[in-house]
Amino acid sequence: MMFMTDRSPESALRLSVQGQIEATRKSPSSPLVEEVVSLFDQLRDRLLRYVISFGLPVQDGEDIVQEVFLALFGHLQLGRSRRNLRAWTFRVAHNQALKRRSQARIGAQQIMDDSALSMELALDTNPRPEDQAASSQRRQRVLAVVRALPEQDRRCLILRAEGLRYREIAEVLDISLGAVSLSLERSLTRLTRAAQW
Amino acid sequence: MWYRDIHPTDQNLILAADGELSPRRLNRLRKHLSGCWECRVRAQELEGAISEFVHFHRRGLDPLLPPVAGSRASLKTQLNELASSNPTPGTPLLAWRRGLIPAAAIVLALVLASLIVLHQSPRRRQPTMYAASFVPISFPATDLTPGVASSETRDQVCRSNEGKNRDVPAALRRKVFALYGMPGADPKSYEVDYLITPALGGADDIGNLWPQSYSATIWNARVKDALEDRLHELVCRGDVELPTAQREISTDWIAAYKKYFHTDKPVN
Repeated sequence: MMFMTDRSPESALRLSVQGQIEATRKSPSSPLVEEVVSLFDQLRDRLLRYVISFGLPVQDGEDIVQEVFLALFGHLQLGRSRRNLRAWTFRVAHNQALKRRSQARIGAQQIMDDSALSMELALDTNPRPEDQAASSQRRQRVLAVVRALPEQDRRCLILRAEGLRYREIAEVLDISLGAVSLSLERSLTRLTRAAQW
Repeated sequence: MWYRDIHPTDQNLILAADGELSPRRLNRLRKHLSGCWECRVRAQELEGAISEFVHFHRRGLDPLLPPVAGSRASLKTQLNELASSNPTPGTPLLAWRRGLIPAAAIVLALVLASLIVLHQSPRRRQPTMYAASFVPISFPATDLTPGVASSETRDQVCRSNEGKNRDVPAALRRKVFALYGMPGADPKSYEVDYLITPALGGADDIGNLWPQSYSATIWNARVKDALEDRLHELVCRGDVELPTAQREISTDWIAAYKKYFHTDKPVN
């Protein structure tokens, strides 16, 4: 697509996105494309939250999610297994996020800091100052526990929060069902203990 | 398993809350809970911890998520391009139903052809499955395109007046697309790019070539071209060693771009 040179990059980007939206509205797609887009609609936010919980920038997260669905299209186009596509997309996203993280050489501390930052950003809708203070304290406690969790326990907890069943989590992380169960028990026991402080 | 004074473990309470207990065990647990205040309180504590974590997780990350419309439209455009460049059927069964036997035969022939091509290349490990399912967006498949450098020195590279990306012969381009399982890809949408550009001593080797999209993401072929120019300039100025530039561009060119352009996003 060509743009006038006097347009700002932001307006060019907006035009580009708008153009794509218009184009996709007008042009009919194959049933397989529609199926993959429908899965994207269902899973995009969950996958993006999961990927950026690795401490990756949101733009990188968006790239990964796009790659996941393009790979899914290739997978389905080849007539491969349709068994549990939700777990399949999370597994691909998980592997891509790990790869991107190691390429970016983001240290574990930074990831924790980023997770912490994202939780710090949680909007507080409590109108009363005393409620806000209590909510902030609870948030800090949850944050401290999540920060201290081993990587696998944190992954299990976040995947469960994103609605995955145990067998799906086991598939994504390539661990046993028993390991998922023990991991969640450890995390939740710590979280309940923190709530009693 | 848990009657009267024998209380369920946290693990069993969590399994029950998550719907992961068998109906028989769940029944038993419910009977126990109906008579045990202590365990009911514990189950509520665990539920409270779950809802608190979910609340902070969602509320913390949701404000960071960009609107879905742009990425949805971009995905649909790319999928339509892929579907039109490589219109293979969804499943063999559907293909028969829709009378697409000739298309299935072509696909089979292409798969066999790529099997033969891949079989002839001993250094590619099990490339068939990988190649057939790999859609290169911002990075090549490392198995297929590890990056290959020639033996040119810095002086030779900097003395050369050759354009930074020599034209890749059509036959080699087709071979690259076949290797990546994209035999019908539109050449206008992809640049068959040198992972290590010849301007940095990259070799004319299929292990140094990959199909890079012009527009799939912001990290596309045009952005990589800008990095290649910058690295060539830095190498020839003596600011960066040639092997360093070759290593950085072949392992993670996006990280190299961010490093040498001092930015997190491509510069227009």
